[in-house]
Formats: sequence, structure tokens, C-alpha cells
Amino acid sequence: MRPFSRRPRHHPVPAGTAATKTIRPAASRDTHAHLRSLLLIAPALVTVGLLFLYPLGYSLVWAFRDETAGGWSFANFIKAYDFYSLDMLFTVVIVTLATLFIGVLSIAIGGYLTLGENRVAVAALRWLYRWPLFIPFVVAGQLMRTFLAKNGMMNNMLVGSGVLDPLSTTSFLDWRGIVITFVWKQTPFAALLVAGAMASLDRSTMEAARNLGAGRVRVLLEIVVPQVATTLMVALILSYVVMMSVLSVPLMINAQTPTMLTVDMAWRINSYGDYPVANALGFISYAMTAVIAWIYLRQGIREGGKPA
Amino acid sequence: MKSHPSNRPGRTTALAAAALAAGLAAGSATAENTLNVASGGSQNMVDYVTDYLGPLFEEQNPGWKVRVVGTGPGDAGSQKIKEKLEAQVDNDAWDTDVIATNQKKTGEMVEAGLLSRYRSEISTGDLVTRDTAEMALGTNVGGYVMPMFHSQTALAYFPELVSDPPGSYDELRAWVDAHPKAFGYNGIKNGMSGVAFVVGWIYTYGGNTDQVINGPYDPALKDTWDGALADLKAFNEHITFTPGNAGTLDMLNRGEIVMGPVWVDMFYTWQADGRVPPNMKLLVLGPGMPGQPYYYAIPAKAANRDAAKKFIELATSPAVQAEGIVNRFNWYPGIDAQHVQDSLDPAVWEKIFSDVTPADLAEKGRPFPLGPFFADIKEAYEQKVTN
Amino acid sequence: MIARTSASTLTAVVLGLLAFAIFGPIANMLLWAVAEAWYFPHKLPVEWGFSFWERVFRPQGNAMESLVNSVLIALATVVASLAIAIPAGLALGRGNLPWRSFFLLLFLLPQAFPSVAVHMNIAHIFYKLGLNGTYAGVMLVHTIQGLVFAVWIATAAFAAVDRELEEAARNMGATAFQAFRTVTLPLALPGILASAIFVFLISLDEFTGTFFVGVPDITTMPLLLFTASMEGNYQIASITALILLVPSVAFMLVIEKFLRADVLAKVGT
Repeated sequence: MRPFSRRPRHHPVPAGTAATKTIRPAASRDTHAHLRSLLLIAPALVTVGLLFLYPLGYSLVWAFRDETAGGWSFANFIKAYDFYSLDMLFTVVIVTLATLFIGVLSIAIGGYLTLGENRVAVAALRWLYRWPLFIPFVVAGQLMRTFLAKNGMMNNMLVGSGVLDPLSTTSFLDWRGIVITFVWKQTPFAALLVAGAMASLDRSTMEAARNLGAGRVRVLLEIVVPQVATTLMVALILSYVVMMSVLSVPLMINAQTPTMLTVDMAWRINSYGDYPVANALGFISYAMTAVIAWIYLRQGIREGGKPA
Repeated sequence: MKSHPSNRPGRTTALAAAALAAGLAAGSATAENTLNVASGGSQNMVDYVTDYLGPLFEEQNPGWKVRVVGTGPGDAGSQKIKEKLEAQVDNDAWDTDVIATNQKKTGEMVEAGLLSRYRSEISTGDLVTRDTAEMALGTNVGGYVMPMFHSQTALAYFPELVSDPPGSYDELRAWVDAHPKAFGYNGIKNGMSGVAFVVGWIYTYGGNTDQVINGPYDPALKDTWDGALADLKAFNEHITFTPGNAGTLDMLNRGEIVMGPVWVDMFYTWQADGRVPPNMKLLVLGPGMPGQPYYYAIPAKAANRDAAKKFIELATSPAVQAEGIVNRFNWYPGIDAQHVQDSLDPAVWEKIFSDVTPADLAEKGRPFPLGPFFADIKEAYEQKVTN
Repeated sequence: MIARTSASTLTAVVLGLLAFAIFGPIANMLLWAVAEAWYFPHKLPVEWGFSFWERVFRPQGNAMESLVNSVLIALATVVASLAIAIPAGLALGRGNLPWRSFFLLLFLLPQAFPSVAVHMNIAHIFYKLGLNGTYAGVMLVHTIQGLVFAVWIATAAFAAVDRELEEAARNMGATAFQAFRTVTLPLALPGILASAIFVFLISLDEFTGTFFVGVPDITTMPLLLFTASMEGNYQIASITALILLVPSVAFMLVIEKFLRADVLAKVGT
């Protein structure tokens, strides 16, 4: 399925070259390669260890330490669940929904860039879709707050152009606003990866299918998408993870309860100085991402991405 | 200048390289002495130091540069400053010299031993006699703080659209029943103006108001608020939620709500900036809504303690309080009013007290509750109103 | 013919809607950047002007210093990320590393945990190490946030390099390092540089880490923006945001030609 699966490690050696090389037993060569690979990845591992896992250790202690009773317990998790179970559900629903939209839109954008026949439209789309990529989340939140409001620019323009009448305008500054902002900001990222993957596909199958009379949508869904599934999944995982940990967007857009878990974390710390429950919430949020990570790992194994 | 360069290997080289690369001296850690001020409040508090107080201090103290960092409003902003100090508790000289923080977090910092006692060492120390200079939500902060200013929450409304503005919480409830969704506030997670509205609600309908404000703390008292909270939940059905202190003003500005609780100083600043219509007015709901001071304090191991004292002395002098705090930034003075009124144009005094009169403030201005009651109110709201 | 025309009309309409969805909010920001006063019920600003620009760039403010800091730190973060990600990408993209997926996942972790809680702990550690208030400290915090993009994309880039070219070089007598330097790295470089844009953007966006590790010695643009934005000071926030866009777009223009389809196709795989 993978368009560019890594080549097998033991190539047939081209004739005439074998003699010039010292031949080592395969096993020792593997061990040697393992060691070298580990050495190469070491700086990155040390960075993650020192700058992330070590500080995360403190969070772990906070989350599982029961200060009133002393000792270790799940008390903070129980309290977090009591207070914020609704927000947990809300967070999952919002982020999942946004991820789905991002997936559909990035396929549509990538698909049109790959299969579109109107050169002008393709060029316009290519120029157009990337812009939100450069807008930081803080700014995106602030843009949408004035854009999506009841008397914001979007409704003003819709009313002005006669699509809506002034009395039927509504504010989108609730869960819909969060989803819209996430989709607006993250779709270009996913589309960039997906379009890249689509562009590198072998075009002959697509053209053959087109010549046989298959519609573009069918070619996209039946030929193109399956071949870029891995890239799509990776783009969506990265988007999902980024959205789970953004604080500014829900803080600025959704004033109502329920809200997202990052807001609750900030609230527990800022308002009550309650690090235990805040960190427990952090790990609950982590658990939600772990589900995604598990899907990724399974996929990796199925695809043979995990070398023996 | 940092007094402990040895603690920071590589800093000088990094800075030099950066300055070279940029072709500009970044202004930090040059030959001048730098006084670091951290402000845990709204943008106007940062602007106040950047545009007014800082230059004034630099002018009077040649060789000093004031650098101010804003950490945002509400508990969140002050909490960040507290965490910043906690993170360097093992160091000998801390990187923050003056802080401006809210009552709750200042109290916590005093209890945690993060601040230094200085009020008796400055000449303006006895210009303030209000009890907020001694007690912050039940924590004794006497000697550790000087009030920077006082502010008050009030209801902002459009006089054209609200012909008979409600004067009390009872009247507000009746008004909201008649005009659903036209009143808005920001809940409790998004800024203090919403928290203040909820606290005022508990003061009105929860009972035992004196005890909630002055103590003693009683963990059982929160169970008596159930009726008030149930009413608030019902009330919330007919209102619009706004995103934050600024969000309330913003929705008023766009005409999406016609009435909502705001901070008086923010309201006037926004009005001066043209972001709130000039015809809007303010009133304080009876029986009372909370207000609070912001405090100046000096961290326990501030690197430049003497300069910090001079800075606060200047900031709390009658002339600066009159010109900077009242005239330019629309706050109520931090030091006692009679010291300020003398150095102020009567017209300015009139302006700041035109909607909310001194009598209103005396009658309806309340402090926030005792620390533990305050936490109880917020948790009860989370459990019984929003859940 | 009619079908053709209606199809292009449809395309135009869809593109128009997309343009509205993308540029509407941005146009809104541009309007706020030059609005002096804008209140209900006016659909457009009541007064226009640049007085807020003067306010942002007033000599007492530190907008220019913050901007320079932001760009310098972002560039340094890119360099640091690449220095770490190139060997890691080489190991993951071609080496025979056991538990490859596990390692890839490890680099995802720092993005996945809400940073509110972790940054204070990092500050605590950095104060002990004397890294607080240094460019190096801020750069390290930004590096960890962007690492997943750097490593995943570098991995894809090395995986995309044709292995036979490298072996040909080895067969002609090149050492492993020479082969890497003259063949593998140049071929993978475009992809690796593509990862730079994401790292650059993350660094420009980062707020809490900079606060805990950099402030008060180092302030960056998002610190100014965050307060202004949370405060609803739309003029200041919009102007700051607009200024932040300049380095982002400039960097993108430089990097753009390196964004190659076959590398993007392999990210995270």
C-alpha cells in the first residue's frame, strides 16, 4: 500500500562490487547498525528526556500525590472527573469533529490540486489555502472572536449581501466557534502534507481510470485517497494533538460551559493554586491522545513500519 | 544590570551575539541599571508604567531603566508572577524587583514568604489607612503592600435602550425576565468582572454576608447557598455569556448585549479609546458589588530592593496618584483620597465620580470575600450552577 | 458547452467562498489595525488612522526589541532543531533502529501534554541551571515544542533518498561520512529545510514557555500580543499580529521552493 516503502535492507549486491568489499556476517552488521542508529538518535532522546520527561515527572507526582491523606492515590483524578466529566466529553467531541472536518477539507483541497483541470483555479487554490498556516493560534482566536460574533464581520457581510436578514443572525462564539477556528487554522497544515503526498503519486493509474470514464470524485476516493492514507493519518494525528493542547482558542472563543480541558487546567492553577487536580487533568488529556497514539502504532505495525 | 552575572554562563555571549546579529543593542543588560517590574493586571496597568511612571522614575533617577512585563488580568496574571518567584526560590537574587498583583495572590505570596516587608521604610507608607492595606481577603498583609489603586465593578448599560435601569439585584432579575438575553456576564472562568457579579449575588441572596467578608471561616456555610445558586442557575438561562472582562465590553460595543458587569477603570479607558460608545453609563447594583485594590509589593530577594522602594514611593506619592492614577488612567486612588484631592483639578475629580458617586462607593462598594469562602463560592458555582 | 460554463461558474463560486472564509477574518484584522474608533452600530470603523501604530512603536514600548528577539529566537530554534533532528532523522529514516514507531511517538509527546503545567517545572529546573533569562533557555523550550515536526519530517526526508546512490558512492571508495555529506545530506536537505518552516512558526507562536524561562530579560512578540488580545485591545493585537506575519511569510517564501511533494508524502511514516 505504501508508495515508498523502505527498501529491503539486504539488496542483491551489484555484480563486480562484492569483491571490493569486506564481507561481514549479517548479524554483526545489524548490531553495528543498531548501535550507530542509537548514537545518532541520542541527542534527540536526551533533549526530550531532560526538557520534557524530567519536568513531566513533577507533574506525575503532583497528579498522584494525595496531600490531605498523604501517600499516593487517585483522589485527584476522581475530583477531576467529578468536576469536569462533561468537559472531557466536550473536549473529545470538539477535537474529533474538528479533526474530521480537517480530514475532509484537506482531501478536497489536495484532490483538486491533483486532479483539477482548470489551471487558473488550481493556481488560485494553491495560492489561497496556505494563508492561515502563518497565523498563530492566539491571533486566530482573536480574529475569529470579532469575525464570528453576532454583529461581527461575517454576519454583517451576509446581511449586507442579502443572504441573511438582520434578525436571524446568531453568534457562533460557542462550540461551533472553536471547531471553526481549529479547522480554519489546521486545515492548511494537513492539506499541505496531503497535497504533497498526492502530488508524488504515480499519475498513470489516475489517468488510466479517467480514460476509462471514471469521474474525478471516484478517482479521488478510490485511487488517490487509499494511497495517501498514511500521510493523511499522520497529518490528522499531529492536528489532533496540537488542538488538544491549545489554550488560547477555547479561552477566547467559548465563554460558556462546558469548555475544553486546557481551560480547566489553567483555571484550577490560577484560581485555586490547585496543581494536583490540574496535573490530573493533564494526564487525562494525555490519555485521550494516547488512544490516537495507539492507532498510530497499530498502523505502523500493519504497514510493516516497525522493523524487526 | 544583573548583580549575579556568574549565575548565568553564556548569557553575556548570547546577548552580545544577538545584539551584533541584529545590529541593534537590544537594550537589556547594558551599562544601565534595570528595575524589573511585573504587572499582573490589565494592559492599562502595563501602559501606566511604560508611558507614565517608568519615564518619570528614569528622569528622577538617572542611570536607571524601568522594564515592565504584563502577565494579564485576573488571578491568572498574578498567579504567573507567583509561580515565577516560586521557581527561583533557591536563588540568591531574584529577577523581579517590583510586582503589582491582586489581593488574593498577594495574600498567598505573603503567606508563602515570597515578599518582603517595606511599607514602614518608605515616606508614603502612612498615607494609606484603609483596611485593604492591612488585610487582603483575610490574610494579614500589613507592611508588605501599598495599594496601587482601587477599582470597582459596576453595571454598564445603554441609557437609550434601558429606560429604567435596575438599581439592585432584585430589580435586575425582574428586568432580565422581561428582556431575555439582553444582559450578559462572563461566568467565573474568564475574568474577575464575572466573578464579582457572582460574589455580589451570594452577598445578596446567600446570607451571612458579614461573615463571608470578615470571617471566621466556616466550611459548613457553603451549604446554605444552595437556594441562591439554584436561582442563579435559573437566571443564567435568560442571559448571554460573554468571553471575559474585555468580552463583556466588546459585546456591549457591538450591541449584542445592552447591559453587563464591567470594571470601572477598563470601561473609562475603552471609552476614551473609542471602543465603547460615548453615551454608555455605569451604576453599582444594590445592595453591593465587589471592588478590589491592586498592590505594589517587593519580592523577598529582589536584586534591587532600594530602587524598588524608591519606585513605589514615587508611585504612591500624592502627585503621581493624582496625575497618573486618577487623571490619566481613571482609577480610584490607592492612598487615602484626601491626600489626592488636593493635587487634583476638581473637574477631573467630578468626571471620575460622575456615574458612580463617592456615596455609591461607600454604600455599595464591597471587598471580595475571605480567601477560603471565595474558593468555596467558585467551586460551588462550578458544581451547582454550571454542572 | 453549457455544462462546461456552469462547471467553471461553480468552481469560481466555491473558490470565492473559500477566499471569503480565509481572507474574511484576515481582512477583519487589517481593518482593526487601522481603526481609531469602531463601535456599534457601525459596520465599519468610525475613524481611521495610525495612532495605535504609534502606540505600539513608541520608544518607551519594546515592540521592536520583542520583534528582533522573536525572529532571532525562532532562527536559533530552527538551527538547534535541525542539529538534533538530522541525526535522529537519519537513524529513523534509514538506520536499523528497533522500536522505530515507539521512538517516533516519543517525539510527539511534548506536543501532546498541555503545556500549562509543564513549563513551570521547566522554569524551576532552568533557574537552577542558570538558563533562565537567557536566549539559550528560551530556544531550548521552543525546540522541544517543535521537535516532533523537525524529527518526523527529517525522517521522511532521509527515507525518501534513494539508497542506491549512497551505496554507489561507498563503492567508489567514499567513507560512510563522506557518502553522507556529499550524497545523502544534499538529497535530503530540501525536506529537512521544509521542516524548518513549522519549527519557525511554532517558535513565533510560543507564549507560556517564553514567559517562564525568558521574562523579564527576554520578551517576545507573542507576549505583547497575548495580553493585548486577551484584553480585547483589538487594535494593538491586530497590529502586533500583522507584524508577526511578516517574518512568517518571509520565511515561507525562502523555504517554499524546498517544499517537495515526495518528502511531504513520507512525514511520520
